[in-house]
Order: sequence, then C-alpha cells, then structure tokens
Amino acid sequence: MDKNQACYLCKGCGLGEALDFDNLEEVLGESGISEVKTHDALCSPDGVALIQGDVDGGVNAMLIGACSSRVKSDEFNFGSQVIVERASLREQVLYCSEAEYEGEEEAGEDRQMLAADYLRMSAVKLAKSNVPVPFKLELEPETALLVVGGGVAGINAALAAAKAGVQVFLVEKEAELGGFLVKMAKLAPESPPYQELEDTGLEELVAQVEADDKIKVYTGTTVDKTEGAPGNFTIALSGGDTLRCGAIVQATGWLPYEAEKLAEELAYGSNPGIITNVDMEAKAKAGDLGGLNGVAFIQCAGSRDQNHLPYCSAVCCTVSLKQAMMVKEANPEAAVYVIYKDIRTPGQSEEVYREAQRKGVVFIRRDEDYPKISESGGKLAIETKDMTLNDTVEIDELDMVVLATGLKPNNPKVVDAPLVALGMDQEAAKKLAAESKAQCDSWSVLNLQYRQGPNLPTLKYAYPDSHFICFPYETRRTGIYAAGAVRRPMRVSQAVEDATGAALKAIQAAHAAAEGVAVHPRSGDMSFPEFAMQRCTQCKRCTEECPFGAINEDEKANPLPNPTRCRRCGVCMGACPERIISFKNYSVDMIGSMIKSIDVPEEDEEKPRVIVLTCENDALPAIDLAARKGHKWSPYVRFIPVRCLGSINLVWIADALSSGIDGVMLFGCRHGDDYQCHFIKGSELANVRMSKISETLDRLVLESDRVRVEEISFNEVDRIPEIISEFMETIEEVGPNPYKGF
Amino acid sequence: MATKAYDKSFREEVYQNVDSGEDVKLCMQCGVCGITCPLRGEMTHGPRQLWALIRAGKRDEVMNSPDIMLCTSCYSCKVRCPRGVKVIDVMHGLAHYALEQGIVPRKETAKFGKVFWNSIYKTGRVDETEVPMRYTMMAGPVHGIFAMLEMMDIGRALLSHKRMKFKLGPGLPPSKKIKGIRGLKKMLDKAAAMSPGKEG
Repeated sequence: MDKNQACYLCKGCGLGEALDFDNLEEVLGESGISEVKTHDALCSPDGVALIQGDVDGGVNAMLIGACSSRVKSDEFNFGSQVIVERASLREQVLYCSEAEYEGEEEAGEDRQMLAADYLRMSAVKLAKSNVPVPFKLELEPETALLVVGGGVAGINAALAAAKAGVQVFLVEKEAELGGFLVKMAKLAPESPPYQELEDTGLEELVAQVEADDKIKVYTGTTVDKTEGAPGNFTIALSGGDTLRCGAIVQATGWLPYEAEKLAEELAYGSNPGIITNVDMEAKAKAGDLGGLNGVAFIQCAGSRDQNHLPYCSAVCCTVSLKQAMMVKEANPEAAVYVIYKDIRTPGQSEEVYREAQRKGVVFIRRDEDYPKISESGGKLAIETKDMTLNDTVEIDELDMVVLATGLKPNNPKVVDAPLVALGMDQEAAKKLAAESKAQCDSWSVLNLQYRQGPNLPTLKYAYPDSHFICFPYETRRTGIYAAGAVRRPMRVSQAVEDATGAALKAIQAAHAAAEGVAVHPRSGDMSFPEFAMQRCTQCKRCTEECPFGAINEDEKANPLPNPTRCRRCGVCMGACPERIISFKNYSVDMIGSMIKSIDVPEEDEEKPRVIVLTCENDALPAIDLAARKGHKWSPYVRFIPVRCLGSINLVWIADALSSGIDGVMLFGCRHGDDYQCHFIKGSELANVRMSKISETLDRLVLESDRVRVEEISFNEVDRIPEIISEFMETIEEVGPNPYKGF
Repeated sequence: MATKAYDKSFREEVYQNVDSGEDVKLCMQCGVCGITCPLRGEMTHGPRQLWALIRAGKRDEVMNSPDIMLCTSCYSCKVRCPRGVKVIDVMHGLAHYALEQGIVPRKETAKFGKVFWNSIYKTGRVDETEVPMRYTMMAGPVHGIFAMLEMMDIGRALLSHKRMKFKLGPGLPPSKKIKGIRGLKKMLDKAAAMSPGKEG
C-alpha cells in the first residue's frame, strides 16, 4: 500500500500554551512527515471534519498528536483502511511533567524534548505500520458448536447456543443425558423464599434437547481426537463419526473426592452406616430415608485439609443442608446434626441454612480435628470438640453418619499430591507438583492434537481455568471454553449460568475465527503473527512458549502457526531469537527503530534517558490515570507501549543500551499463582527472560541496575511516580551510559 | 474434661414450653449477643453458650444458670442478633420456666421479682418505698433494717426531692391502688394462663 501520511497536532487541553509547535513541526519534518496541521480542538466536530476531509482527499496514514489512544477512540477512527497512530502529548507530556524542571537552561526545554521524542517514535511507528489483512481460513469457516458433556451445564450450553441459531453437537459418554443430575433426588432451594426443595427438572431439559432440531445428540460417545483450530475443528468421535465445528464447550463435570482416603480419619468403610453425601443422594433418590432417627453430617470431610483437598468446594454445605432437610421431611422427629468448621452458603443459600435450622437441625461447630466415629450397640456415636461449649461432646444413637466430601476436577489422573505442597520441603513439593501436573495434563477429554499436549492447561488444583474474575470460562486454548464444575466446584444454578456464558463466548469465538479477528482480550484485532520461515532455525521456542498452544510443529520442528488459535499477544515475537515473527502493525524492527529514534543528549548535558516498555493492558492505563490525577515524574522518561511484556524481545534492551539510553524499565502485570497477566504467561516469561539479561549486559560491560522489571496493577496508580523517581536515583548513582555519542 | 452427651429431649422441651423457645434453633453461634451484653462480665455462660447447652440437652446447667435471671432487658442483643433471635424473650422465658419447675437459678432476682410482681398485681403500680422495704425485709427483720440503714442517704435524697413517699414500714400506710385494679388483675391472670406450656 502506498502511504499518504499526514500529522495532526492538537492545541487543546492546554497543549497550545505548553509546547512550541513550530519546533514540533520541524521535528516531524526531519522524521519524514511534511504535511502537518494544527487545530485548537482536534476532537471537536470541526477538527474531526478537518481530518475527514484529508482522508477523503487520500490521506491513509496519520499521526495524531493529542491525547492518549485510550480516549476519543471513536472520534479518531477513520475506518480499517486508515492507519491512525496516536502520540499521547496530553497524558504523557503535558499532565505528567512540570512547566519548569530543575537544571534547565531554558524553561520548558525538557518538556519540549519529551514531546519531540514521542512524535519521533510515533512517526517511525507510522512508517513501519501496515494495514492488517485479516487471516482467512483455507476452508469455509464452520460456526457449529461442539458441547462435550451432557450434564446440566452441557445441556444448558447446547440449549443456549441452539436458541441463538447455532448448530450444536452434544456428546455424552453415558447412555443417557443428565450427568450427575440423573443421580440427584432433589435440588436445594434455588428460588425465593428458599424453603422448598426443588425438582431437578432433568426430564424437561432432556425433552427440550430432543425437541430441538438444531441439537444433534451423541450418547455413549467420547471424543477420540480434536484437530484444527477455531473455525475449523475436526472432531473424531468414538463411534467413528467425524464432525466439523467452529468452537467447543467442555462441560465434563466433576468427580467426588474419594472417601476411601478418609478411612483413617473418618472410619469410612468400617461401617455401612458411614456414607458419603453422594451415597446419601442415591439413598434419597431411591426413597430410602425412612426409619432414620439419628443422622449426623460431617462437613469438610477431606476438604480444606492440606492432606486431602486444600480448597473449599463451596457446595457441600448446601448439599448437607438439603440432605438434612430431606431426613427431617421423612421423619420430623429425627435428631439431625451438622458438625462443621464454617458453614459456607454462598448467594442466597443462607436462607437454606435458616430453613434447615427452623426444621430443627442442630449445628455443632468443631475445630480442625476430625470427629471420632465409633460403633456401640449397633448404632454409631461421634465424639467431637464443640467450639461453642469449649468441650468435647458426644452424640450417640446415630443411624447414619454422612461425610460431606468435596469436588475434584473431572480428570481421573488428578493426583492430590500437587495439593500437598504446603508444609513440605519446597523443592520436593515443586518436583512432586510438576510430576503430578504432567500426569494430569497427559489425560484429556478432547484429546487435542496440539503440540503442547492433549489437555486444557490447568491452573491451581488441576482446574482448567483462566482468571476467575476477569475471564470466566476462558481456557488457555482459544475457542475452547470450560463450563460448569469442570472449571471450579459449583452448584447446579451456577452451572446453568456458566453454560450460557460459555456458549455465547464459544459462538463469538467461532465468528471471530471466520472473520479473522482476535477474541478476548484483543477483541477485533485483525493482525496476526507472520513467520519468515526461510530464516527459522527450528529452535522450538515459539511453539513451546505460546501461552495458548497456537503453534504446532512438523516432524522437523518447523513451527506451524494456527492464527485462529492466536490471541495476538506477541509472546512468540518476544521468544524468537532470529526475530522472524512479526505482525503487520507490530514488529521487533518497529519497536527497535522507535527506541533508536529517541534523541539522546550528550553526556555533559546531564539529561539521562530512560525508556519504559509498558504493558498496554494494565500498566499503560495506570500511567494515563496517574497523569490525569496530577502525578508528576521525570521528563527524562519515555513510555513505549507493548502488547504484553511477553512480546519484548531482548534485542530491544540491547538496542536501547547500545544507543546510549541510560536505563530500561518494564512495567507489566503481576505473575505467579495470582497472576493478572491478560495473556497468562507473558509477564512471567518476561521475568524469566530478564533474569537472563545479565549476559547481554555483561557483553556490553554495563551494570545490571540499568534494567528493572516492575509489576503494576491498575489500582497501583499512586505508586508510579515513586517507582520512577526511585529508578531515576539508581540511574544517577550508576552514572551515564558510556555508549552515549557512539 | 468431661464429655457431654447430646440429648434431644431438653431442646424439644424448650422449643415447646419456653416463650420464643423455637428461636434457639436459629442461632448460628456468631456470639454478637454475648459480646454485646453489658452484663457479660457477670454471666457464666451468656446467651450464645446457653443456646448451645440447650441444643446439647444440658437441662441442669441451663435451668440452674444464674444468667437467665441476670438479663436486665436492655435489648442490645435482641436488636443486634443477625438471625433475629428474640434473645431477651428467651432469657425471661427460661427464667419463668425454671421457676415453674421449682428451680430458682438466682435467689435475689427471684425474690425481687416476686415483690415487684406482687406490688403491680395488688396495686397496679410499683411503689418506690414499698418494694425496696419488702425486698430487704425478706431476708429477716434484722438484716432488713441494716440493709435499709445502708441506703439511708439515697432514701433521704429521694424524700427531699419528693421522688418517694415516707412510710413507717411495709403497708404503713398501704399503697394507693390504681383505678380499675380488678380489670388489670383479670388481664394479668388471662395473660398468665396463655403463657407457653399452659395451653389447654
């Protein structure tokens, strides 16, 4: 494409008074943009009309020097064929700098230099940008949805998608639909006034599925193989059928925690009267609750216990309340006890707790130690600590003791070992965790033919989840969504909501694949990584490090990218030592050239230069907000937005330091177990790579203090000036970069 | 530590016979009542533990607990209980129930209550001279006179402010009755007959 470039500078919001625009025009001229127009308020209808007029006249690449790219995005949108590059003169120059800075020969010169550098960088970026051409699948994109698992979540996902007009394939391994719902007698109250146990409603759900001609059901079937990418998945079913679908919802439910493991603590298996809540549900389903005069429920049986499941399954309390109410309904005279650590009744289930109390269920709070269960005269007895009475109490004459066991992810290979990390030798625990994780990852429902393994990657406790608040149902395999108890323990009503959400996300993913745009979090991004394969050395870093498993490999270890699986984070670009991966509007060369375009003053001017490679997702908005809040920082700092810290190629650091920049900072999201990285592993990878930067620095004979990684989340706006000034002090201590002027 | 065996008979007894006794079921053992009580320093159990004892079936400990007669009806607990348990009503209910069963958990309160009640029942009012006189004399005339001498200063001040009438002794002269005392007595009798555990 032939670029017809122009630049528009805004004088509004105080920019006109603060900056010397003649000088800026000169700078732009040196950077190759001769067509420069200024306006008093570029975002006003008049200003927008000025630009639109030029666009109509043939301008197709423009630099707008005004406010942050995060604001006024509608005003400055001139269609997908016009490249718009925004230099944030307002937030990153005017708001964050003082009108006069210490050591200036002329008042405002530092601020002016700051603005000039941003325009230089933007001009380079504009020159190196191309209009992205969306990726098109070779075959006609498919939008049908595959739902794996015919339980309450699967059925609801299928129904929701069918309602939206999408063809659905529903695969269930059992002979009939329903999943765990088949085994359930009743549901705990789900609707006001939360006093009556409710029917499961399974028959109606199944009838709806059967009546829907958009849903094709495969019972007694499993998935042998899943190949391809969003928009073009090919599924081989165990029955021999092959399906093509655009996206997948995995709703394969949960497994009950094995009560056999509680034989020692809670005497499970020693007496037929000691059963689990799952057994209890079966009894209730069979109408087998008559004749019970004394029943005790033991909560947290193997839950919130470092030797078993360290987490709370969030449903067992409500289940026990329900089952206690069932016992009371069968025999109102029965003595029913619930022995608990804490009653956890999320949502409106507190009302269920009250109702169980009204029905006369007695609640006894215990401590961390499990109650002792014994047998006397054909009946069971429990001895437990009563925290309220601060005494040991005894409950006898019990016909049944129900252990409220928790939920595990539906993966028979899940070993509980990774959950036992606490209190162990940390090295041993890490090793154990890695082994168990590998074992768990080797098993799969979908059997993905992905280079990174057949299963959905798991997070904590072997649940295949993403950030639980920000991105529910997102797995780390694009186009595959997890719904229901497969991603975390949840109740039926929550699973229904989950299923609907996941189905809608899956439909969106299939459509995005068809249109060649990214899904969450860079929704609508048309760029995708392109590989200059002739220079590839088959080092496998990209295929290994992609957080979303987007890149497969052939036998010779050549990367085989699947652009519809890609989230456009650029982690592969950061990983590639040969720098052969680039996007139409984001590349190693582009950022490198931007860094080199910064004007570095001579050493004797005592004006150091620091660049901050800034994550666009959290850190950049935080900087904008800090500036808008009136925080000021050093005018020697230049921010360069990056898609993710994971996309940072080490060559940029070398470029910066060898061109005389005194220091480099990386602002990104928190990583680790409670990560906030929008691309899950990007921030962590950056950290690992930076830990190896010392090699580069040694080669350049530079101090390692010159490079620093900082974790910034959006709510840490007030920390930004502090971090910057601290780093500036460090730079002052280590002194100027000896490469200045070379 | 002695183990306590759970026994369901007493909690059923309380649910049926004690005023607002069924509220005890709803307690979730948060302890707001106990920590809120201005007399928490005086109480041996406090409401929360009493409820736990009721559920555990500890009849003797509950019925003999002085706490159920220590409640001053300040209403703090009842107002604050997140479960809406009518704590005071249950406390008084338990006290009544204990007395009915011939158990006196706290003698002083029981005595004072009796004098107080008699004054209201007979005259329709609480006579500020009569009630303390009768209460102190219950422990015998000698003890009564000494106890009254101890309170002489307060008595004098109350007299000088006309907050109290001068009397030579209990019933000298007799307290004035309110108008329609018969009607009041009828009402009180009816209410007593209606109290929990008395139905039928």
